[in-house]
Amino acid sequence: MRLIETQIDISSPEFQANAIHNRNLAGQLAERHQKARFERPARDLERLARQKKMSVRERIEALLDPGTPFLELSTLAANQAYGGDVPGAAIVTGIGVIAGQEVVIHADDPAVKGGAWYPLSVKKIVRALDIAIENRLPVVHLCDSAGGFLPLQADLFADKYLAGRIFRNQATLSKLGVPQVAIVLGHCTAGGAYIPALSEYNVIVRGTGAIFLGGPPLVKAATGEVVTVDELGGCDTHTQISGTADYPADSEMHALAIARDIVGTWKRTEKLKIERIAPEAPHYDPAELYGIIPRDIKVQFDMREVIARIVDGSRFHEYQPAYGTTLICGFAHIWGMRVGIIGNNGVLFNDSSLKGAHFMQLCDQNRTPILFLQNITGYMVGREYEHRGITKDGAKMIMAVSGLEVPKITVIVNGSFGAGNYGMSGRAFDPRFLFMWPQSQISVMGADQAANVLTDLKVRQATRGGDTLSAEAVAAIREPILEDYRRMSSAYYSTSEMWDDGILDPVDTRNALAITLSASLNKPIDRPHFGVFRM
Amino acid sequence: MRHLLIIDETETEAGLTPAGDDLYFLHDAEGTHEISFHGCAICVDDVMESVAVAVDGNTAYVHLNGRAHRVEFREPVDRFAKGGAGGGADAIAAPMPGSVVAVNVEAGQSVSAGQVMMVIESMKLETAIKAPRDAVIEAVHVGTGKTFNKGAALIALVPLEEE
Repeated sequence: MRLIETQIDISSPEFQANAIHNRNLAGQLAERHQKARFERPARDLERLARQKKMSVRERIEALLDPGTPFLELSTLAANQAYGGDVPGAAIVTGIGVIAGQEVVIHADDPAVKGGAWYPLSVKKIVRALDIAIENRLPVVHLCDSAGGFLPLQADLFADKYLAGRIFRNQATLSKLGVPQVAIVLGHCTAGGAYIPALSEYNVIVRGTGAIFLGGPPLVKAATGEVVTVDELGGCDTHTQISGTADYPADSEMHALAIARDIVGTWKRTEKLKIERIAPEAPHYDPAELYGIIPRDIKVQFDMREVIARIVDGSRFHEYQPAYGTTLICGFAHIWGMRVGIIGNNGVLFNDSSLKGAHFMQLCDQNRTPILFLQNITGYMVGREYEHRGITKDGAKMIMAVSGLEVPKITVIVNGSFGAGNYGMSGRAFDPRFLFMWPQSQISVMGADQAANVLTDLKVRQATRGGDTLSAEAVAAIREPILEDYRRMSSAYYSTSEMWDDGILDPVDTRNALAITLSASLNKPIDRPHFGVFRM
Repeated sequence: MRHLLIIDETETEAGLTPAGDDLYFLHDAEGTHEISFHGCAICVDDVMESVAVAVDGNTAYVHLNGRAHRVEFREPVDRFAKGGAGGGADAIAAPMPGSVVAVNVEAGQSVSAGQVMMVIESMKLETAIKAPRDAVIEAVHVGTGKTFNKGAALIALVPLEEE
């Protein structure tokens, strides 16, 4: 593999201006992460202190092995929903290390609305358990939830991927032999009661932990029976009488220590064998990524410059360097793990699409996980390209990306528009993980183009009677459309709706990829096999 | 979660993570140190020291720089349990129906974990009711010769917070 020769002049005014712009974006991201993680109403913090409860962050810190990384996922989920009042969707999820073992952590945040589940909270838990299933990762649940948020129950209860899916996923994990431990740190009421019940192991804290289908007020209303929380579903009830809970704990720290001991008894899975070499830092400083991503999303940049600041030693073996040059394909190592990389360097044409589909089959054949680096405006349109079969060539890419057995991880580094999102392993194609960079945009077409189409439509409706509209009137129609479209195609909207697993500061990408790549290797994969490619 | 080590009576919290190539990171109150092992020597932040270690259960005796140190590892599960590994339940309930053969304690008396407080008989078998933790007896609910049902409160311990 050869060192990528950078073409970037880091002293150029262009580079400097980009660097200032992108560092600002990274600064804003860090600030929003900080707020979503730690800023809570004083009233809630006082209540937790009164109950002698640790914060969700303290719990996770105590649970993990000291000095090991924790990759938090979807930190900014729900940042544009529910009036911004439910930071992180009241749930913390991520991948961490306990007793030397990679695990998925799902933790309710009792400092947000008592840990109530909103529709996006449910989506976040289901996603965390999907990650556990897809990567065969054991799960630790930290349960402390008031239960479903009733005013929005219609949006979180009945449909296929809503609350029931949490329990279906737990049962699926159990069937696959992937263990789970639940730590009951607060009340687990109604649906929430099934989380510890469906975990092979669970620990319950005496005094604060409780599990029941209906709490004391509901029992009184339903049958007239008057019963205390402890008698109905406390620690001793469930560990001594009902057998719903396994290990009694005297305090939260005691419960976390027991859970760590439990995880330590689990059998380690043998990881998928891929080529590994000694890790090496990139030759070029990853902080230079700030100067490489243009301030204007419409300005093109060379994806090789991004690859050079992510991979080991900035070394890259480029495949078919002269063919289909708008798609870069090749091999590199990330923290010593060999990966295939597919990155956009412009619009997808017929040749670049064929090259992409071909390279994906090659990686599947030689058992190499694939990293997709998206900066894609779409497939080329026009008579010439349709005649050459751009649609069927795009279909080949989609067939290949869907059929891959090797793990795929996607990073949207700038734009993700139209069918290009599909061919480049968008969310619908089950990449094991998908991350975005702060400036990225994602939508079916660009904001300007979409606003023009929608404005034209409205102007035609308004002028059907033969009237004409002034330029101001057209602008008055166009501006709100454009504004709305821009907001809903931003990375922050995407991450609010969990179309991704989180927004990354570009300089953190290399480490995030290493953690997720390593996690993805826990699942054994099938021999290469694909559907029918339209030739 | 860091481990608790008691080094010559002083409590120290520390954690060790593997860093590849036989290298480890030691995290303690002062920060992070690089550690590697070379036979009878240990290298801490590039300083090589020769050590001799003898391990006896959860205690290690370390000979370093002409001095011997006693290093005791405290299991986290025991460390955070109230009054030891048995847990902190305050009420001792009857594990099965039966009758009381002997009462060895009275209210106000101190007991230590594992001490036999009462002997009961059920199904021709005598069972010792032992203290789950170090505690003070609050009350003995059932006297010698009396019968009881499963789950009946036999003995109450003074709750830990109130001691």
